Formats: sequence, C-alpha cells, structure tokens
Amino acid sequence: MPRFRHIQKRSVPALNLAAMPDLIFTVLFFFMLVTHMRDVSPQVRYTVPQGHHLEKSRSTGLLYLFIGRPIDAAGRVVGSEPCIQLNDRIVTLEQLPKEIEQQKAQMTDDARSQLTVTIRADRDTPMGLITDVKQALRRAGALHVNYSATLSRSQQTNN
Amino acid sequence: MFRRKQHDVPQLNTTSTADISFMLLVFFLVTSSMTTDKGLGRRLPPLDEQQQERRDISRSEVLQISIDAQDALFVDHQPATAARLQQVVESFVASRPDGRHVIAVETDRHASYNAYFEMQNAIIAAYRSLRRQMALQRYGHPLEQCSQAERDAILQRYPLRISESIDTH
Repeated sequence: MPRFRHIQKRSVPALNLAAMPDLIFTVLFFFMLVTHMRDVSPQVRYTVPQGHHLEKSRSTGLLYLFIGRPIDAAGRVVGSEPCIQLNDRIVTLEQLPKEIEQQKAQMTDDARSQLTVTIRADRDTPMGLITDVKQALRRAGALHVNYSATLSRSQQTNN
Repeated sequence: MFRRKQHDVPQLNTTSTADISFMLLVFFLVTSSMTTDKGLGRRLPPLDEQQQERRDISRSEVLQISIDAQDALFVDHQPATAARLQQVVESFVASRPDGRHVIAVETDRHASYNAYFEMQNAIIAAYRSLRRQMALQRYGHPLEQCSQAERDAILQRYPLRISESIDTH
C-alpha cells in the first residue's frame, strides 16, 4: 500500500517569510510621507509653553527662531543668558534684521510670500527680549509669526 | 519509468532583505523628526506708520490687560486668573455688536514668556468659543464646516484686535 507512506511523512510547512520586507517597506513609506527631514538642530535649550487651541503653522517659508540658554555639543548648558538662534546660527539682537534679510534673499519667491517665523522660546525668557525680537522682525518685514507651543493635556473647558 | 535528474536551481535566499529594510527604516527614523509645528499664529503690525489702520477709539471700547514683573495678570486693573480673563474677554467682545473693540495688552519687560503665552492663549480661547457659538447658532453647523463666506461673516463680527504696547527701555 504505497498511499499510506505519503501520509506518515507529512509535516507542517515552515512559515513563508517572503512577504516581510514588503511590510517593512510599507511602514517605511508611511514614515517618509509623514515626517520632514530635520534641517536645523537647536544649539540652545528651550521648553516651549503649553497651550490649547493651537493651530498648525505653514510648512513652506519657515524660519526657525530659537531662544534659550546656549548648549555645547554634548548638550550641557553653558551660559545663563538667553541667546537667539536663527535657523542654524547664533545671532545677536543687532544682527537679527540683517540675518533675516539674508535668509529671505535665499528663499524661493513662493516661500518668501509665505514667510513665517516660528518663535520657539523657552518659557522662562523675559518678555523684554521677546519684545525686542518682535521689533527686529517688524523692522525686517517678517510680519507673520507663530508662537510655537505644545498641546497641554489639561482640561479644555467647553471646546 | 523515467528517472528525472534533479536539476533544482536553488532559490535565492531572501532572509536578509528584511534586515536591509530594517536598516533603511532605522536610518530614516533617526534622521527625520515628526515635529508638527503647532502654535499661535499672529500678524505683527507693520513698522511703517502709514500702513497701519488709524482708528479713533474711546475708552469704553478698550479692555486693558497687563502683566507685571511677577507674572501677575491684571484685567482692567483688577487681578485675575487666566480662566477669568477668558470669561471677561468673551463678555467684552460679545457685548460690542459692531466689532468696535480693542484689547490693549501691556507686558512688563521682566515678565516671563510663559505668562504672556497663557494670556494670549486665554484670549484666543475666548474668541474661539464665541466664533463656534455663532457658527452653530447662525449657520447650524460647526465652524470647521463653514463656507468661506460664512467664515468671513464670523470674522467680521468677532475680529481679533489686540494692541500691544512696546516698552523699549
């Protein structure tokens, strides 16, 4: 009876893993679509304030303005006075309008028409510095600003 | 019976393509950031005086908000919390039917940015709840589903008018 020998030798086949790279590629494409390449690394330490009812800022024509205490390459805080970083360089208040003009000149026309400065300032920054920075922005003609913040998890009362 | 020679070409071993894709994924995760830039959008007034809108306002149309050096909030010279500020702004804006109102903000130079931000947040929350209410009452659907003309009408009824005094010494 040669048929019976067939049945005895059957074993469970191993799991076919040929499709696993396809799944990983799918996840990879998902990440490629939802993230942006980080192009500025902050050289100051900052914690933005928290709020609710925040709106998203535009993604083109963005200038990053970080205000906080400076950190060295290892991430340790080295100074006690808050300083200003525009995109990827530390600038002083006097240089700020000129630096903004330079950055504006390097942008495409499309981006320049949608110029927004996102202000990521540490929450303990004295308002005097913020006011001076806003005056410098007005002088440079960058009128759209976005006060960056994180969403607070506390109660949102009626909306 | 035939005896077929076994000419099995071995299949390509694909167990390492999964590793390659893991490497790509990890590289991508490390070099990118999922930061969605969220915050309060604002428009600063232009520096050129001619471009600014000049309006005559009377004292009754102005709501005075100030923050002193210890981060204490004062609404019309009365101490207040952020929640109270939101209520006061709501009733102030709602009670001025033709949109003639100004919120004057004054911040001491030594106040912290956090206090300023919370104050701006409370003002925005007040406007938002007023605008939402109007959208529901007048148009019957929430603010997000309003058409552009409806939005313009709502913005005209409740315009955001904040005047900040500049203290430069």
